[in-house]
Amino acid sequence: MEQLDREYQYFVGAAQVAASLEQANNIAKQLSITASNARAVALRAGQNAAGFKPLTDFIDQLANTTISSSKNINELANKLSRNSANKYRIDNAFNKFNGVLQSNNQAQFNQSLHQPISMIVKQQQALSFTHRSLLEKLSEELILLSDELRTAVVLATLSRVEASQADTDFQDTLYSVADNVEEAATKIKAHILSAIEHVNSIKLDRR
Amino acid sequence: MKLTKINKDKSYHWYVLGRDPEKPQAIIDTNQYLVVTANKALIMDPGGIEIFSSMLAAVVKICPIEQVTHLFASHQDPDIISSLGLWDQALPNATLHSPWLWEGFIRHFGMSNISYSAIPDGGESIKIDGVQLTFIPAHYLHSSGNFNVYDEEAKILMSGDIGAALEPHDAPMYVEDFDSHCDKMRFFHQRWMPSNKAKSRWIERVSKLEIEQLCPQHGRIFRGDDVKRFLDWFDKLEVGLVED
Ligand SMILES: [Fe+2]
Ligand SMILES: [Fe+2]
Repeated sequence: MEQLDREYQYFVGAAQVAASLEQANNIAKQLSITASNARAVALRAGQNAAGFKPLTDFIDQLANTTISSSKNINELANKLSRNSANKYRIDNAFNKFNGVLQSNNQAQFNQSLHQPISMIVKQQQALSFTHRSLLEKLSEELILLSDELRTAVVLATLSRVEASQADTDFQDTLYSVADNVEEAATKIKAHILSAIEHVNSIKLDRR
Repeated sequence: MKLTKINKDKSYHWYVLGRDPEKPQAIIDTNQYLVVTANKALIMDPGGIEIFSSMLAAVVKICPIEQVTHLFASHQDPDIISSLGLWDQALPNATLHSPWLWEGFIRHFGMSNISYSAIPDGGESIKIDGVQLTFIPAHYLHSSGNFNVYDEEAKILMSGDIGAALEPHDAPMYVEDFDSHCDKMRFFHQRWMPSNKAKSRWIERVSKLEIEQLCPQHGRIFRGDDVKRFLDWFDKLEVGLVED
């Protein structure tokens, strides 16, 4: 039973990772909208916000990186979840077959169960291997993405500097762009951190 | 799980497996049937996940597990075939015979090794080591895609849910007093069977067969004159009834 609970944890954990990334992805999409709004403002402001336009390109780039990378991570997490569900099923099969083998000694053809059991064990090993490598990849991708997000703080700061130099007509809008970038990055980061935590808890559990 | 041989032939064997004392209380009791020939074996309506261990333990009392080459599922119900995902691990080279209608549904129980042989609506015959078994259409009794298995040689009709009775799990394997047995069958047939027309067609069809034993998936086996008694009783029974 403890065994089953642990397996259950795996696929629920993986599903939680996928859910966190889904949310990160949604926020990144908003960030991308913020970038294109900012670009429109910068265009209207003309010379008054000359330094702002290249910044909006960087914001857009950051949004796109987050979107594509969280899509990747999401796929990995879904694979992990499916893999864990299969592992759960195969472990369940192992327990049933092995249970019969152990307790059915007097049955004439009991030994014939060794063959299917060895096939089941092979599948268990293959699934465990996939499980471990998916977890490694997930960790790597999550850490990469969270590193990437450090740029957001810089972008927000630079946006504020540009805003302070812009015409008063545009200042408020440009400040709010800076706020949006910062807020989005903070939220995305929180989702990624929670994803990393889920991954680590699955990893810890494994040992 | 109790194991009873039900045919007299020495060259191949029909078994009924049922009355599992380890089965959880809330689960309907089921009879599983097994035909073992010289080198092969067929399990009919192998049952639900909950009784898989008992079934596996019973089967290896009779033959090596790899001898089981065929499975049959009369229809898609969980008490019939929800154990498929586990049999799939035991019998990588087996074939499951089941109504074509249910293929996409039954695969939800998990089937990556076993192959699906879709029975056409009109039924078909298969030969297992020379033993001929025929899938007789029994649609809408109760499932919309549903078959019985007939063995002309042994004069046995495995009738699936038809002839089912709701009984305690320690009931005898054979009907002893037909009249009192009717009380245990009435509700099952009236509530689960949807069509009087389908019922009449089926009775007409199986009345042409020589049947010494009629073997349902729940309850008890009818033998001798009780087979005819059952067909007459069923003929008169109005089905598709619900109090709501
Ligand atoms: Fe049924
Ligand atoms: Fe049934």
